[in-house]
Amino acid sequence: MEQFEQLLTCAICLDRYRNPKLLPCQHSFCMEPCMDGLVDYVRRQVKCPECRAEHRIPYNGVQGYPTNVTLQRFLELHIEITGELPDPTSGQIMKRCGVCSEKAYVTSCVHCEKDVCSDCKGAHMDILRREIARINNQVRRALHRLSDMLAGVEKNMLTLQQNCTSVTEEVDEIYRRLAKALKDRTDHLRGEIDRYLTTELKNLCNLKENLDIEISNIQSNCDLADKHMQSDDVEWEDSELMDAKEIFLKTVEFIRNFETEIGDYSRRAKFLMAHDPNQLVMHVASYGELTIHAPHQAFNASSNSLQAPSPGLMRSKSDHRLASQYRQDERNAYETGGEIGGRVSPLGGRKFGERYPSRYSRGDRNDYDADTTHDNENRSSARSRIRSRLGRHGLNENTDSDTDSRSVRFSETNNTVHRERERVLDTEDVAKGPLSGITRLYDSPRVMKRLLESENKDKKAEAAPKPQPQTAVQQPKKITPQPTPQRQLSEDDEIARIKRQNKTASTSSDTERRDRVGSIKREDSRDSNRSTSNTPADSTRKTSIPEPIPADTQESSESESEEDSVEVVEPRKPTPIKTTFPPSTSAATADSRRSSTASDNLGSKGNARLKSTRSESIDSTCSSETPGTPVRRNAGSTYPSEDVKQSPVSSSSGSTTPRARFSSVSSKRDSATPTNSRSYNVTGNSESTSKKEEIEDEEEEEEETETSSESSETDTDEDSEDAKPKTPVQKGMEKTDIGPLLARSAQARDNGSGSNSSSRRASQDESYTRSRYGTSGYKSPSYQSPREADTSASGSKYLNNTRTEPAPRFTSRFLKTKSIQEENPSKPCYNSDNKYTSDKGGLSRSRTSANLDEDLPDDTNTSAYSPYSKNHYGSDLSRSRSSHALKSRETSPDRPVTNASAGTGEKDGAALSSWARYLKNKYGNRGKENAAKENAAASSASSSSSRRLSLGLPLRSNSTHVDSSDDDQKNMQSSPTSHTIIEAGMQGVGSTPRVQYLQKRQLLFKIGGRGSEPGYFTWPRGVAVGPDNLIVVADSSNHRIQVFDNSGKILKDFGSYGNSEGEFDCLAGVAVNRIGQYIIADRYNHRIQVLDPSGRFLRSFGSQGSSDGRFNYPWGITTDALGFIYVCDKENHRIQVFQSDGTFVGKFGSNGNKIGQLEHPHYIAVSNTNRVIVSDCNNHRIQIFDVNGRVISSFGTEGSENGQFKFPKGVAVDDQGYILVADSGNNRIQIFHPDSTFLRAFGCWGSGDGEFKGLEGIAVMSNGNILVCDRENHRVQVF
Amino acid sequence: MSVLPRRILKETQRLMQEPVPGISAKPDEGNARYFHVKVTGPEDSPFEGGLFKLELFLPEDYPMSAPKVRFITKIYHPNIDRLGRICLDILKDKWSPALQIRTVLLSIQALLSAPNPDDPLANDVAELWKVNEIEAIRNAKEWTRMYASEN
Repeated sequence: MEQFEQLLTCAICLDRYRNPKLLPCQHSFCMEPCMDGLVDYVRRQVKCPECRAEHRIPYNGVQGYPTNVTLQRFLELHIEITGELPDPTSGQIMKRCGVCSEKAYVTSCVHCEKDVCSDCKGAHMDILRREIARINNQVRRALHRLSDMLAGVEKNMLTLQQNCTSVTEEVDEIYRRLAKALKDRTDHLRGEIDRYLTTELKNLCNLKENLDIEISNIQSNCDLADKHMQSDDVEWEDSELMDAKEIFLKTVEFIRNFETEIGDYSRRAKFLMAHDPNQLVMHVASYGELTIHAPHQAFNASSNSLQAPSPGLMRSKSDHRLASQYRQDERNAYETGGEIGGRVSPLGGRKFGERYPSRYSRGDRNDYDADTTHDNENRSSARSRIRSRLGRHGLNENTDSDTDSRSVRFSETNNTVHRERERVLDTEDVAKGPLSGITRLYDSPRVMKRLLESENKDKKAEAAPKPQPQTAVQQPKKITPQPTPQRQLSEDDEIARIKRQNKTASTSSDTERRDRVGSIKREDSRDSNRSTSNTPADSTRKTSIPEPIPADTQESSESESEEDSVEVVEPRKPTPIKTTFPPSTSAATADSRRSSTASDNLGSKGNARLKSTRSESIDSTCSSETPGTPVRRNAGSTYPSEDVKQSPVSSSSGSTTPRARFSSVSSKRDSATPTNSRSYNVTGNSESTSKKEEIEDEEEEEEETETSSESSETDTDEDSEDAKPKTPVQKGMEKTDIGPLLARSAQARDNGSGSNSSSRRASQDESYTRSRYGTSGYKSPSYQSPREADTSASGSKYLNNTRTEPAPRFTSRFLKTKSIQEENPSKPCYNSDNKYTSDKGGLSRSRTSANLDEDLPDDTNTSAYSPYSKNHYGSDLSRSRSSHALKSRETSPDRPVTNASAGTGEKDGAALSSWARYLKNKYGNRGKENAAKENAAASSASSSSSRRLSLGLPLRSNSTHVDSSDDDQKNMQSSPTSHTIIEAGMQGVGSTPRVQYLQKRQLLFKIGGRGSEPGYFTWPRGVAVGPDNLIVVADSSNHRIQVFDNSGKILKDFGSYGNSEGEFDCLAGVAVNRIGQYIIADRYNHRIQVLDPSGRFLRSFGSQGSSDGRFNYPWGITTDALGFIYVCDKENHRIQVFQSDGTFVGKFGSNGNKIGQLEHPHYIAVSNTNRVIVSDCNNHRIQIFDVNGRVISSFGTEGSENGQFKFPKGVAVDDQGYILVADSGNNRIQIFHPDSTFLRAFGCWGSGDGEFKGLEGIAVMSNGNILVCDRENHRVQVF
Repeated sequence: MSVLPRRILKETQRLMQEPVPGISAKPDEGNARYFHVKVTGPEDSPFEGGLFKLELFLPEDYPMSAPKVRFITKIYHPNIDRLGRICLDILKDKWSPALQIRTVLLSIQALLSAPNPDDPLANDVAELWKVNEIEAIRNAKEWTRMYASEN
């Protein structure tokens, strides 16, 4: 038998023959890979390994050799006899492995979605295992968070109880007090009235008695007088009579005079209330109310107060949060999925261990099932298709619709647990974690089976066995759902589902169902339209009614649950419905479409709503909203795009305030039709036009540019201040046509030197005019010319000269470009400024206004950047967004005009050209900027003296924008033509060395401590310096930004937990751009948010993912002089660069430890010489890139020596290029020279002053003060 | 590096299960392509009684290319140089994928029995072997005793 086996064994692979090929020498070998390996391709022959005979290879390769049929028969026979399993790979064709590119039997790898051989697959699975282990570790490590939360929840329960009892006691106490007071008072009043009664009664009695007496006396007197005085019976003496008379006179007098209150009793007691009794009753009746402090429900504030408390009580805030998060996630899923019925929920649609639907051919799931023959056919095709298309919303079991609908609303944990895109799926049958939707892996039959198997086979069982699809393929019988005794239920479910699917399998259940659902939805929308007059809640309820249809119970139940959560929210705040709008508000496309249609269709409506406040819109737009919102929601719950398409108008009209704003914004961004949105203002117009103009011009006038720049330079050189030549103006314009970005950077550079020089005396006039044409040439020609009268008001008399000439030209240009703009409306423009200004109420303002600040005699540090200060300077001053004007104007008068582009061109040629290249790429221009620059640079040599002069002038303390000369020098040194400049730079700024860094050790002050009150922190991370040396701190776990003045006094804080606009989730990095906008890395929301200087939301961009413009835990963030935003995309191990409006510009870095690679980059800083400094945290080093992503240098290794790092985090660079590193593992701050050599370090572990526990962000103020976030001490220290 | 090809596994397995008399080959613990080989000197040869250590490495494209084999123990042999390199055709151009570790080692053992001074690698040894075979064999025995005896 053994020999028999021997005969069936290929001599090369020592394995059973597979497709044995017979050589002419009668030796047989497997075709692949054995025979393949024998081929001598050069001589095109094969040498028999056994007999060394050489054979020519047939025309069609080794497969041309005859198959050894006999051997094959024997093989079959052998299999029959021994009952051996058939070769699993028989019938398969060898392909090139996608990884090692060896020929092998490949299977597709779920991990990398390539066809790979088993070896590579094993490796990959090892990777996966390691990843699982790692993540598992993370989970374990992070689990305490949950347990903390649990403890927190328990604590909360306790506190809640305590709180409630205390409140009850308080209420009781109040009640007792009130009752007592009331009783006391009542008793008192009763007593009073009694006393009063008795005294008064006594008085009256007295009076009565007295009167009686008087009356009787008088009566008797009268009688007596009548009887005895008249008659003379009695002798009366005269004296007696006199007395009697007197008495009677007295009596008369008394009677006449005596008056007493005999009418109404006037001294009535009256009960007077101190307060109006009604009011008092009301007061008492409502002598107190319970307010529930709910910080997350900021929107409650704007909702009407009547319903505020009760829903707040009824619904935990987390529910909203979770729901909205869930929806967000759903939407993301859609964005990635792209297809309508794609993966619907993060955990939906796939069973544990089932293979992933190929991303590219989602519809072709059947292929896979055909491969894996383990399923019975009906089931495989039908189920997989259904599930893949419908996912969780598909026609799954009625029975577990409950759990499912409740499930997967919370995706945050999912992200952390299964960071890989491929989240392990579970069966639908098992109960999920109510919050996260995470199933117990043990509950998955697959896992159970796997474990059982491994036990049976006595194999090493993995902790978290990852199903291995390949083995599954090889051992098909294992895959068929075996009844796992423990989970009888699930099996039943399985069967039930299979049956059901079998039923629907034959029909194209998919589309049919969708149609049906769609029609239902349509009906819904009609329904809701009918119910327009109803309250939103009503309509919601209505719409939810028709949904529970047996076919899609799951789906409907889910949408129901959504609506549940929505219902409460909705009346108060319509927007969350929209924004958080879930599974199917498919993606950005739908969004943008909606928004654009919104702006189109809405037009003035949108505008009107824009102006209305939110609450207003709630009240007033309720009616118009009702049709829209439900429709959209319905759409959202299933197949959105269809429905949305059907009712774009209604849905768009439903958009409420913030939405409207968004739509208008987006319309502007798309610059679709610039007519309707309020935010469209002249600035926007001029910007886009000017840009277009530039591009145009660049194409047209490149040649001219070069020459003209030269000539203009000489011109200005010659022409002294007074005679403002017309040519330079023109030339200036042409010069700027080089390209906006190039020019921008150029001028930024120029600004640097200009500010260095800061010679004010003569600059006013010349630089001013330069700014004029600089601005106009650049950005807003259209705009400027009509307004120049205004600008001239600001006092430059020279303007008149210049203006006359450029104005007509500008206008003509403007006309041209305007038409251009109308032609291609999809031009992206920098709407950061647009938006900003629009938010400012249509005030067309831009940084140019800051230029004026610069002209003012007092150059405060930040005036240029403070948007507030701009307000002073005539808001109708023509303000284009160009900051270049600032720079250009700042240049000293005797500097040639062309320095703006020329001198700088040399200085940082690389950076500039890179930007130029970028620009070129972006706008498709062929630019000869470099050439232009070269020329200009050459000519700039002539002006070097003036430059030197300017550089020699004292450094201004303008924090944000003074260019560092140190770095300048470096850059300059590389340029051959600018020696003089170097010298000048040396003299100029090198004279102010940063000795102060050497003295730094002493804590100046510290801010905060643990807490959530204003001025306190919970894990502060990012820190940035804003205008006026404002200290901006990202208070990460309080989910807010706090702003302090430069002495540490809290000014404001904004932001709260959440994922809607202006809300954060553990934000990390923060940056402040030149115009005071806050740019925030909203870490767990995987987006960047931009807030205006008052903390209002402007825009956000990005979502979770690894493609361009998406993030995985964005961390550090910074912005450069040009407003480009640099983001440390931490888990993607790269840096991404964006325009200030969020347009993706570029990225660099990948995971690794080679030069130029990054591992968990945390923080980033950009010097004003455009050096991008990145803390490559897990590589324990700092890397410096140019703006193009090319590595300039890298320094630091792991360690605790000077110049070494342990997990460096925050980085900052000051205006001279000194680099500050928050060396978090060593708990110290290290300072490096601009050339990356070590300067000094200070700090150690601890919680005292100048001691750190876990450093995070670091920033440096213009005065050299170092801000550092001391995370575990929950404070910011200033040195 | 990718996982070991089945063939190497099989060969290793078989080498362990059915060792060739006089030859032992154990894969290195850290590298399954590297074998520690011990070959006893064949009977009736000057190397009798000696235990020669060799190292054997299977290159990446094994079995399509020959394993690398080298004597670690010093040996006085016309086809083995001072560095232990072996002049053996099957290790060079005559390699065939049908050969295996075991066959290679058997060939080496055979080479010890039948030195081939006409295809020398160690020229001085080969010279002596040709000129004065007795002397050469004595040297070989001496070396075997000196370097290849077990204790």
